[in-house]
Amino acid sequence: MTRSRVRVLAAVAAATTLVASAAPALADEVVDVVERVNASTYAANRLVVSVWGDETQVVRERVEHASGQEMVRTDETWSMKGGGRVVTMSDAPSGIAFMMTPTAIDTGRYEVGETTQVTHMRRDCTLIPILEDGQVRAHMIVDDRTGAPLITYIYDGDGSVFRTVSLSDFSPYRMYEWPDAYEDVPVEIVMHDEAKIVPTEAAGYELVEVFPGPGGSEQGFYSDGLFSFSLFAFKGDASVAGFEDPMAFVTESGIYDIVPTAKDVRVTWADGHRRYVLVGDLPPDHLGDVLAELPQQDSAGMFVRWWRRLFG
Amino acid sequence: MAGMTPDERLSMLLSCYLDGELTKDELAEVVDVLEHDVAAIAEFRRLKEARNALRTLPTPRMPMYLLPAGHLGSELSAYLDGELATGELPRISGHLDVCAECRDELADLDRSRTAVRSLPGLEPPDFLALARDAREARTRARWPAVAAAVTGLAAVAIAFTVGIGIGDRGTVAVDVAELEARHGAVVSGTSVTGIRTSSP
Repeated sequence: MTRSRVRVLAAVAAATTLVASAAPALADEVVDVVERVNASTYAANRLVVSVWGDETQVVRERVEHASGQEMVRTDETWSMKGGGRVVTMSDAPSGIAFMMTPTAIDTGRYEVGETTQVTHMRRDCTLIPILEDGQVRAHMIVDDRTGAPLITYIYDGDGSVFRTVSLSDFSPYRMYEWPDAYEDVPVEIVMHDEAKIVPTEAAGYELVEVFPGPGGSEQGFYSDGLFSFSLFAFKGDASVAGFEDPMAFVTESGIYDIVPTAKDVRVTWADGHRRYVLVGDLPPDHLGDVLAELPQQDSAGMFVRWWRRLFG
Repeated sequence: MAGMTPDERLSMLLSCYLDGELTKDELAEVVDVLEHDVAAIAEFRRLKEARNALRTLPTPRMPMYLLPAGHLGSELSAYLDGELATGELPRISGHLDVCAECRDELADLDRSRTAVRSLPGLEPPDFLALARDAREARTRARWPAVAAAVTGLAAVAIAFTVGIGIGDRGTVAVDVAELEARHGAVVSGTSVTGIRTSSP
């Protein structure tokens, strides 16, 4: 039994019925929460809703989670993720696997607040607030039996809900809906690389891994223990498809082209020497802070974005 | 089938069965009868043999005065060229089946086309050939100058490209969906403790 399970079970035993409070937890309990969620076993329908400015992004998917692996199925495709490998089955099946070095990620930015015993979907759960600088960054309702995150609320810097992730049609076990054919899909292996371009830290996100990216780019993977992003740095002005109809994201350091999805945000800019693409699940205020500490976009690109913002 | 005797009705049903024109209920009735009624089986065989005999009879040549008005004429040419609408084909084929005159005309037309295709290519008259040779000579005379100009332009373009390319410039094309998939794969392999819970 893991240390986190011991802690959670002890908390459950001490709880009376619906509400039981605990003293503010240590920062390393964030590690316990995250690891327990990653190790949980369940099958469910997952609804993810994210709000970026005036736009709301929604995705519904069938998910089966077990042993650190996750099968995600939508109407069009399905993918299998786990252990640094993703296999996607669609019209053109593809697979990629990253050889990663074991690296502990510093979660010191966050701490677990006072937990509360609640009932959700007639299941005994624990409501876990995750705090950043004393303010709530996330609320998680975690199933006591399986460790599954039945509902997760992520908050923006101003306290508004930025993203909700909720499970329905929940089963506390595997449904074994994983297709057999995915084992036959050829997988591209990507080895670890040394950082040459990407910075080692950005606004509380540390550089965890570096890999060679597509088109001769460099991929830096950053995490703060709860959220993460990858920064791709291309030599020259690479052409990146998928930014044909971007949103303007205004920060103190400039205006950026972004394309938000329900689960991620995509950002691109150029600094005159390189094209950068950022992909990650970080909330808007974190994104603004991160962009301010990454290489800045060139003034020409900035002018174009200002012009678009002023005159459409 | 009202007013028929049972035998007449059976004969009609069997005939329709051979033509594939029975309803679902009638088909079930016929199948049932053919499984149990020896007389019905005999009648079915008789009808079938009669139809086969009819099919093997020689096709009579229909007198011209009985043919539908007009022959195919220019439609034969379109028929050979495969330019007829699909809906027209049954009418043309049906007419050719019964009209020996149109069949003969079609054969003649096909033979004449084959003959034209097999003719040797015609040479142009001498005065046209001379004019063509003179034109080609002028083109050949201009070619070195054109080639030199193109080569010069290409050299300038290459020099320009290489000059601009000094440094880290270059153009690659990628899809952000691919980058997102790569990020997702890395996320699935990370652990806040540094201990991986599963392996690829």
